[in-house]
Amino acid sequence: MKERLLERLLEVANKPFEALKDLRAKKKVIGSTLADVPEELIHAAGLHPFLILGTNEPIRVSAALMPDNCCSLARSNLELVLAYQPDFFDGFVLSQVCDTTQHLCDIWKRRFQDRYFENFLAPRQVSRPSARQWVAVEMRRLRESLGRYAGRAITDDDLRRSIRLFNENRALLRRLYDVKRRAPGLFSNREFFDVVKAAFFMDRSEHTELLKPLVQWAEGEAEKGAADGHFPAVVAGIVVEPPQIYDLLDEVGANVVADNLPTASRYIYYDVSEEGDPIEAMAERHVSRPNFSPINDQVERIYTDLIELYREYAAQAIFYIHIKYCESQDYDLPDIKRKMREEGIPMLVVETEYQSTHLALMKTRIEAFCEAVLGRV
Amino acid sequence: MQGEKPKSAKELAKELTAQYLEEARTAHEHGKYVAYTTAVSPVEIFVAHDIIPIYPENHSVACITKRLCTELSEAMENEGYTSHLCAYARCDLGYRLVGKSPMGGIPDPDFLLACNAQCFTLTKWFEVLSRQYRVPLFVFDTPQWIRDQEARKSILRYCVEQLKELISALEELTGKRFDYDRLREVVRLSDEASRLYRRFLDMASYKPSPITIFDALIHMAITVYLRGTPQAVLYYRTLVDEVQQKADRGEGAVPNERFRLYWENLPIWFKFRDHFNLLASYGAAILTSLYVHAWSYEFDLQKDPLETLAENYVSVFSNVTLEERAEMALDLFRRYSLNGMIMFINRSCKAVSFAVHELRDLLSEKTGIPALVFEADMGDPRFYSEAQIRTRIEAYLETLERLEG
Ligand code: SF4
Ligand code: SF4
Repeated sequence: MKERLLERLLEVANKPFEALKDLRAKKKVIGSTLADVPEELIHAAGLHPFLILGTNEPIRVSAALMPDNCCSLARSNLELVLAYQPDFFDGFVLSQVCDTTQHLCDIWKRRFQDRYFENFLAPRQVSRPSARQWVAVEMRRLRESLGRYAGRAITDDDLRRSIRLFNENRALLRRLYDVKRRAPGLFSNREFFDVVKAAFFMDRSEHTELLKPLVQWAEGEAEKGAADGHFPAVVAGIVVEPPQIYDLLDEVGANVVADNLPTASRYIYYDVSEEGDPIEAMAERHVSRPNFSPINDQVERIYTDLIELYREYAAQAIFYIHIKYCESQDYDLPDIKRKMREEGIPMLVVETEYQSTHLALMKTRIEAFCEAVLGRV
Repeated sequence: MQGEKPKSAKELAKELTAQYLEEARTAHEHGKYVAYTTAVSPVEIFVAHDIIPIYPENHSVACITKRLCTELSEAMENEGYTSHLCAYARCDLGYRLVGKSPMGGIPDPDFLLACNAQCFTLTKWFEVLSRQYRVPLFVFDTPQWIRDQEARKSILRYCVEQLKELISALEELTGKRFDYDRLREVVRLSDEASRLYRRFLDMASYKPSPITIFDALIHMAITVYLRGTPQAVLYYRTLVDEVQQKADRGEGAVPNERFRLYWENLPIWFKFRDHFNLLASYGAAILTSLYVHAWSYEFDLQKDPLETLAENYVSVFSNVTLEERAEMALDLFRRYSLNGMIMFINRSCKAVSFAVHELRDLLSEKTGIPALVFEADMGDPRFYSEAQIRTRIEAYLETLERLEG
């Protein structure tokens, strides 16, 4: 039963370009990058939003375009579109959150002069009223621009319809997360996060229709899934790539019960209000999301958020996924580690890099951590 | 007539720097506050509110030129930070651990301001300081100055709104009302100093050029930390007069000047002299870079001071699009008759280095001038390969010689 319900979702999550190769025949595909590009706007314009999440295939062209100490997420994003999927996208909306992404936008745009291209200039501070105003202004600019490209203005009703669809989708994913927390025996971390990931790529209505029976099944089976042998854990970071990292967590019996990832909780938590002006509602959601390392917020949230999650979900460990050369995480990490030591919270920092992550080594480290800190063999 | 001989720019610089540091160190005794800020930031607001701005970056440059970077960096690496970070941040965080400084240190902050038009790194670095000193951090967020007139209008509104928020935060800190008339006066002084500073930089258009970028790098310090004061105006007036006299005498900074070069990026601070000498031996001089021009602001005194501040700071070269940045550089090529370019990819600084390969393509395409591109670090000798870089610079100059015929 489960296999059948999951089949298409896992296929899309793991081989999106093959599974969705006829997408472009139906709709124009707009690629976006992390984080927080308002996909509802792209959808409301009758376009297909598709999140670009890097590639683990070898780097061939982007190495000559950026310095060596660029994070592998940005580098492999560019690699993916230049070398591996040059024809998949009709256009792009790229988010600027750090120095790397800001300049990546310029390089990218020059390489795709024949495609639609927009920046999403997200506010890089969210704790003052000006940020909330700005993000609404910026969303309106994007709305105009997408409307021009699509050849029809995006009406409030279009936008409300998309918001409703995305809200419904997010709500189903949250319900599934909830079952996963209680019933780790029902499906693995890898399966759950792959289901979320499929939403980044595929048609949102299709994803929702696939989710409905899955959630229904999972809720019905929840009692049976509360198997022993798992320990609750929090995952922190930006992306968890390659996805085999989730397999490693499965192998040691970790059940991810909470996270602060822009590719999971930051993505599915909080709905856009369906009342009032839709842009204002989206702006409201934007500034009330969980803390995200490159966006300046109250400075202690880099660890207080994690401590809260750890306590609220009675977790036993935190796995912090660190993308090598991510400056933002590089500045946060020593303070996060110190704080966790002070609080007596076991945390393992796992360094990853697209292309070169050494999974066997990572497996040994995760096992050693679980053994030493949690007494699990 | 009796009287003191007027001071030279060099003497003035020494005196002003000493005064400024003394004032900063005794700020609290005089009921003043100390704020850390980024080199590119609307510091006029601090000056108008009697807050003494301190630039940790400048202190880090001093550490680097005294060759302390590796030692300070290792100190912070022992605390778990990585050596990939900007060398300024590494020196600063290291200094806070071991207290070593070539100038007796800098006072601790009461407030932090990070303007991300310069870079994103500084925000994250100041976040660390904000946690350490438990003082507020204000991020002046400047979205990329994209080329869209309508978008620019909204970006400016967002920036002006934030400057108002900044002023409220400072009023809260000091318990004092902000004085807009005083701000107008400070912006006027800042404008005057910035224009004089630009005139000084533009002296590099003389042939031979009386200055090289190394002069610019020394003399930019005052506008970075004293703009908005009458002292900075006096200083640049003196400097412009001195350099003008040199130009009038036809004196070049480099004997037998043949190659007039553009430099991309910040300098390699600890190699500064060596590079000057090496280049000079070929009759080559680096005359300018967008970096030194980052402080040649032009404030519009007819406008609301917050608006002209926002406009100037958001449009700094590190925050414009690549095409616009190339145009800014090409303008220097034309005005200074440049015939070579060295493009340094600075490991420390993603903000300025990230798109250098593309920038090189754009500039070479438009000028037909070949470029030397190399990677190293501006501050840490561990990431600088002397033999390799020297050979490449020599080879490049020989290419230029061959092209010249
Ligand atoms: S925030 Fe970090 S991971 Fe994301 S693009 Fe910037 S440097 Fe890379
Ligand atoms: S060198 Fe670059 S990264 Fe470092 S503080 Fe300056 S602008 Fe920022």
